[in-house]
Amino acid sequence: MRRFLSRAAYFARETWINVRRNLTLTVAAILTVAVGVMLVGLGLMARYASTNALGRWQGGVQFEIFLEPNIAGGQIDALGEELRNHPDIERIQYITQDQAFTLLEEMLADEPELLAEISVESLPPSYRVVPRDAEGELIESLAAQFRQRPGVYSVETGRQQVDAIREWFNSFRWIVLLMSIVLAAASAMLIFNMIRVAMFARRREIEVMKLVGATNSFIRMPFILEGMLHGLAGGLVGAVAAGALRNHVEELFGRSEILAFFRSFTVTSSQFTTATLATVLMGVIVGALGSAFAAGRFLDV
Amino acid sequence: MIRLDNVTKIYKGETRAIDGVSLNIDKGEFVFLVGESGSGKSTMLRLLTAEEPATVGQVHVAGKDLSRINSWRVPYLRRNIGSVFQDFKLLPQKTVYENVAFALEVIGRPKNIVTTQVPAILELVGLAHKQQSFPDELSGGEQQRVSIARAFVNRPLILLADEPTGNLDPNTAQEIMRLLDRINRTGTTVVMATHDQTIVDQMRRRVVALRQGQVVRDEQQGVYE
Repeated sequence: MRRFLSRAAYFARETWINVRRNLTLTVAAILTVAVGVMLVGLGLMARYASTNALGRWQGGVQFEIFLEPNIAGGQIDALGEELRNHPDIERIQYITQDQAFTLLEEMLADEPELLAEISVESLPPSYRVVPRDAEGELIESLAAQFRQRPGVYSVETGRQQVDAIREWFNSFRWIVLLMSIVLAAASAMLIFNMIRVAMFARRREIEVMKLVGATNSFIRMPFILEGMLHGLAGGLVGAVAAGALRNHVEELFGRSEILAFFRSFTVTSSQFTTATLATVLMGVIVGALGSAFAAGRFLDV
Repeated sequence: MIRLDNVTKIYKGETRAIDGVSLNIDKGEFVFLVGESGSGKSTMLRLLTAEEPATVGQVHVAGKDLSRINSWRVPYLRRNIGSVFQDFKLLPQKTVYENVAFALEVIGRPKNIVTTQVPAILELVGLAHKQQSFPDELSGGEQQRVSIARAFVNRPLILLADEPTGNLDPNTAQEIMRLLDRINRTGTTVVMATHDQTIVDQMRRRVVALRQGQVVRDEQQGVYE
């Protein structure tokens, strides 16, 4: 125990001397690690946020049943009755052919020549259905139930849009991942060089240590700890920055009407904790790798 | 304690720094290695501390065959060997006390050993009153005594000295020799490479002379030439 304590004290002292000696390089390494792992954290949070949001919309909060344009009035009423009495359906709204045309007029306001080609009679009337539960599977099963009914032309759920958004998010995630890998590699290399400089600065001590029979692992330990310390510091700074950025962005979504769409992109606090821990851990790993590699390479007996 | 069997050391495929040397040094001996610069004295010492491997032949130190020793065992071998150099190799930012304590700390000796052994050894080399001085505040002879204290503080079986008096004036060199002699009398094997004819002639110890990597003379109670 006593032996362990004196060793721990030795390592702490030597590590601190190294850190103090290379202050500017230390700061540079810590900041690079911070930016790199911040991206890792943000990427992770974006992933959670998109999964959360998409889970909520899977299939959309509502879906639309389009009817044949020439459907008989009785069929429309019968279908409406069935939808209204369905236990899984909250409420419905009937869109007549005229209303559908008005909506289309708004959408195609800039392209009157296209609109001129379309007649009111050719448009399908539809029911907009809001299910009791905005759950993807329920919506899909309801859509399937009504798709086969006579007089139904098609049933549109929001799945296509959700898939498009998911694809966009996926590519965003890949870009962030790629950037964070590049930055993690840069941080590791920076730490590698820092440790090399630190070992060069202390080459006389290292020479004496080898001379009197210190083991390689003993000589390396303060340098590896130094690298891990940088990684840890960078990881903490990065995690704080990622957390601050997340709060800022969420606040922005809450305030802005344009960005209201993004309000469902939130992370739970346990997901936030996971992302933060992963961020810090990533920093420590980067630091340990960079310094262990340097210590191994520049310390041959 | 030290045995070389037909040892050859070739650098970069051509230079024969040591050429077919066989030598036996017993426990407690005091041996001078003499010869011109480039005769192989320093290479011989580096072979003994396993800084360099022999190209041919076997080197045995403190019961270990260095051609078979695992690289991770080398530090443990070196704990049995103290080394002293012409340029002292003291750490300038550490005090006398810290320089000596460093040698014990880095091999994991507990603090209570450090706090008892370091003052004792500084007493032995006559520097008890300069514990808190820094190396650049000391004379060359004092610095060399610190270096010897550091080499001997862990009570090694063997003390290797490479030109320990090379940078010192004759009187100071005499002091250092008295100290090495005293250490030798505790049973420590001392091997000293030197150019210093006066010292060798005066001490009358075993002399091994090297020329172009070969042993050309090996005498008990010998002289420089």
